[in-house]
Amino acid sequence: MGVETTATFPIPKPAPPRAAMRVADSRENLVDRAADGDVAAFEELYRENIGRVYLLCLRMSGDPSLAEELAQEAFIRAWQKLGSFRGDSAFSTWLHRVTVNVVLGDRRSTARREARVKPVGDDLPVDLSAHEPSPGQALDLERSIAALPEGARRIFVLHDIEGYRHKEIARLTGLAEGTSKAQLHRARKLLRKALAS
Amino acid sequence: MNCHEITERFDDYLDGRLDTAEEEELQAHVTGCSSCAEEMASVRELRNLAAALPSSLEPSRDLWSGIEAGISETNVVRGRFGRNAFLAAAAAVVIVSSVVTAYFVGRSQAVVATVEPPAIVESGPSEVLLASFEGLGVDNYMATRTELLDALEARKHELSAETMDVVMENLLLIDYAMDSIAKALGDEPENEFLMKQLAGAYRRQIDLLQRAVRMPAEV
Repeated sequence: MGVETTATFPIPKPAPPRAAMRVADSRENLVDRAADGDVAAFEELYRENIGRVYLLCLRMSGDPSLAEELAQEAFIRAWQKLGSFRGDSAFSTWLHRVTVNVVLGDRRSTARREARVKPVGDDLPVDLSAHEPSPGQALDLERSIAALPEGARRIFVLHDIEGYRHKEIARLTGLAEGTSKAQLHRARKLLRKALAS
Repeated sequence: MNCHEITERFDDYLDGRLDTAEEEELQAHVTGCSSCAEEMASVRELRNLAAALPSSLEPSRDLWSGIEAGISETNVVRGRFGRNAFLAAAAAVVIVSSVVTAYFVGRSQAVVATVEPPAIVESGPSEVLLASFEGLGVDNYMATRTELLDALEARKHELSAETMDVVMENLLLIDYAMDSIAKALGDEPENEFLMKQLAGAYRRQIDLLQRAVRMPAEV
């Protein structure tokens, strides 16, 4: 007969490994230094985060060159607002939110997109060996996402890829929650159709 | 729950956010409804595929030089009132007012709308100012809007395609206005004028939905 154990007292969490603590301290230190105007520290933060910021901009804008501009703008905006970063969340999470705001506030996407001829999916990563879906499936999905109408694409990226909930998306975009849900439904329908063809 | 309500809850179900009773109801419905079962399998597959996509990609060139140039010529701008943002917000409100007024002739009755605080992520307006909006609450806007959207969805087949197009276009215009105003508020979170404009935009949206929902059947 097995023994049932019920913890009636708080179980202390194991201390984080020293290496992880050093990384966290170091990152906090970088943010503090950057907030004090240390450009070199900010450059380190840029190097740590540019991949995720750029890919988010690329998926949401659907345009590689515009994504580069948006990523630059996101870091410049982050620099300007570093004073308001209170450390309630990880720096990368805060930067992610700043980036989303920059992309959503940009009005160039539609015009650029209309003029664009190169399929954006070709610029997206195809080396997906570490992930379950086959590279072909993932590339098809990336291309199909890039081909979505702007509103549907942004909501799909925020919800299904970045993991935002409709309530958060509504707050970020200024759209109503119902509109966010409708756009997601539309995006999924279009994606299913594109992937099936 | 009907099929529409069930499909609306797929994400909550797949994320484990439904309570036990809702979860059981959804499972029972899906078991007996092939259409919803197919839809859920499809949503699950797409979500899994999307969640497995890479999360990082280096740009084709190093962007640091542009960023360095940008930050060397900018200072912290927190609290600055962006004139352009203000003008964009004001213009958006004017457009929305004109379009909505032009389509629906005459007001049917007073709007019993409530307003949600503007969506400012990094810094929000004071609740004191929000509470000072004339005759507006702060709690039920989203619920009211969702209810009206559902009502519109339920009777969209009674309205002509032209009417539905006009309604949807205007909803998007108002969404755009809210977006512009909210962003202007991001620069000036305590600006009372902008907050009133945002409240007005929310009210116009509810007004538009109420008028659309009450329109006589056309089809």
